[in-house]
Amino acid sequence: MKRIGGFQLSATQPLILVLALIVISAIAGFITPGFLTFFHLKMILYCNTMLGILALAQTLVILSGGIDLSIGAIYWITVMVGALLMVDGRFILPSIVCIIVGAAIGTINGLGISRLKIPHVVMTLAMMIILTGTLYVTTGGGGRGRAAQELISLSTGRIFGFPIITLVWISLTVLFYVILKVTAFGWKVRALGSSLSASHCSGISIWKVQVLVYMISGTLAAVAGLLYLGWARTPYPTFQSGAGVGANIMLESIAAVIIGGTLFLGGRGGVERTFLGVLVLAVLFSILSMAGLGVEWQIMLNGIIILAIVGVHSRIGLQ
Amino acid sequence: MRNKRLKKIIFDWYIYIVLVIFWIASSAASPFFRTTSTFSTILVSAVPIALVGLGQTFVVLSRGFDLSVGAVASLATAIASVTMIWGIGPSIGSIILISLVIGAINGFGVSKLKIDSFIMTLGMMFFLTGVSLLIRPSPGGFIPTNFKKILLYHVANLPLVPFLILVLAATVGILVLQKRRFGREIYAIGGDPESAKMSGVNVDRTRIKVFIVSALSAAMAGLFISARIGSGNAEAGAPYLFDSFTAVFMGGTLVTGGVGCYRGTVASALIIASIGHILQFLGITIWYHFIVKGLLLAGVAGIQLLIVGSERAE
Repeated sequence: MKRIGGFQLSATQPLILVLALIVISAIAGFITPGFLTFFHLKMILYCNTMLGILALAQTLVILSGGIDLSIGAIYWITVMVGALLMVDGRFILPSIVCIIVGAAIGTINGLGISRLKIPHVVMTLAMMIILTGTLYVTTGGGGRGRAAQELISLSTGRIFGFPIITLVWISLTVLFYVILKVTAFGWKVRALGSSLSASHCSGISIWKVQVLVYMISGTLAAVAGLLYLGWARTPYPTFQSGAGVGANIMLESIAAVIIGGTLFLGGRGGVERTFLGVLVLAVLFSILSMAGLGVEWQIMLNGIIILAIVGVHSRIGLQ
Repeated sequence: MRNKRLKKIIFDWYIYIVLVIFWIASSAASPFFRTTSTFSTILVSAVPIALVGLGQTFVVLSRGFDLSVGAVASLATAIASVTMIWGIGPSIGSIILISLVIGAINGFGVSKLKIDSFIMTLGMMFFLTGVSLLIRPSPGGFIPTNFKKILLYHVANLPLVPFLILVLAATVGILVLQKRRFGREIYAIGGDPESAKMSGVNVDRTRIKVFIVSALSAAMAGLFISARIGSGNAEAGAPYLFDSFTAVFMGGTLVTGGVGCYRGTVASALIIASIGHILQFLGITIWYHFIVKGLLLAGVAGIQLLIVGSERAE
């Protein structure tokens, strides 16, 4: 960690992102007058809510020194389970089932990692592959079922002109910011990410924290899945990607965490940084599509931003 | 003593035991499985997994991850489908050159800039996927018939050239890792980078070389894929990213690096390629192969860790 005049450089990380956001938005607003309107900024947030919640969950896992490769698959499995259960219009029970499914899958991940000592990459990779299979087996690769009316109105509804799901995302971010800052659990998560052996020596029961972290990750993925289902109305099979179900959004969530400035090896970072990371990506993508450049440019830019940001981090000694 | 030796043999070759049991059980279960044409197809579909797995084994052994292998394979099919109009040789040459550059950049970022390999190659993956989509927005393009015929050359219903590619990859992988200085340096870095450095290994240079090998073998896999599908496709390589990890981990290479070998990866590639076929012949929906694959991966990794743990305890 480098210090300049007694000032911790890593503390400036969120500040740099905020500055970058302001500069980029100002330039974009100057070029395209429609950019800096309340409506457009609201839409940017709205369209990235699901990614934001997944990235939030991923932040927690990465902070604890792990990684959750199955997060996108859990997301899609909830979309599918929810749609199948909501066919006859029920809302409450299917939603609860979905969240329990997400939490249960996360718990299995956590137990495999902490009790069976399977490396987190292998465990969550295996889980992703298993869930991919489950999804294809039950749906045959197509979408079935539809969202309940209540869920649709929740996902598309607004409070004072502000999308409800975006408020959900923001309040979850605030909630986990507080949890990480204030509670013992938050400190334990970061302790695990900093050093497993030191945490063990200081009496933290590592397996409980790990199970809890992966359980929260699964639960949040399920919440994001439900919100997406209400948003899309039917589980349109966009989950079909060559690498596996949910692989794309999973990799994007990791990218957002890294761009936000959370240390990949765990221990340092936070959900507020990830929020900024998602915003930076979202604003840049929005500019690209306003300039008429397609999704391939967005994917390319995603890579360039990751490399540029970690490159800068490595130069100033943050990584 | 005898018991210990037996245990070592089982530990070294257990993935082949799994493979043989798998094949015997499948052949007993379905008369359609025990035909030469089935095994030919399995062999052909195992080639790209084994090729991508070759580089991935090197990278994982040296304590890294390469997430860009799928994207490199896709890029190779995209470039091949565009440039093969001007001749096969120049096209292959340019693909090799580009993959060398990609590998060198990955290695440079990981070793000199000290970026975590997961992040470095994740960024590279996004970048290359974008580039491949620019070159080939929709599947298609031109792959010469000669190129397809050579790479998929069959003699008496048996895929001779794919088999030779597999043998060549296995020979290179096993020889380089076990017999060459480069291979021993990879194991040293995977075991402990600090002590490797102190015993005179040029860690940075070896890591760069490792990522170059990975990108190169992924590009070779991409060429083979483009011959198989007869076109270019910017997403054709994506499935091989996670298949390469599955093959490496199932084959007994530890995520933490330093322990493992390429022969396990080859056997896993054959298992992965067989799962879909046997399910098909048993009349089970093809989608179950994901579940079988995932359970095998978790199971094999768990059992292997138990064995390693008991050996350490001794």
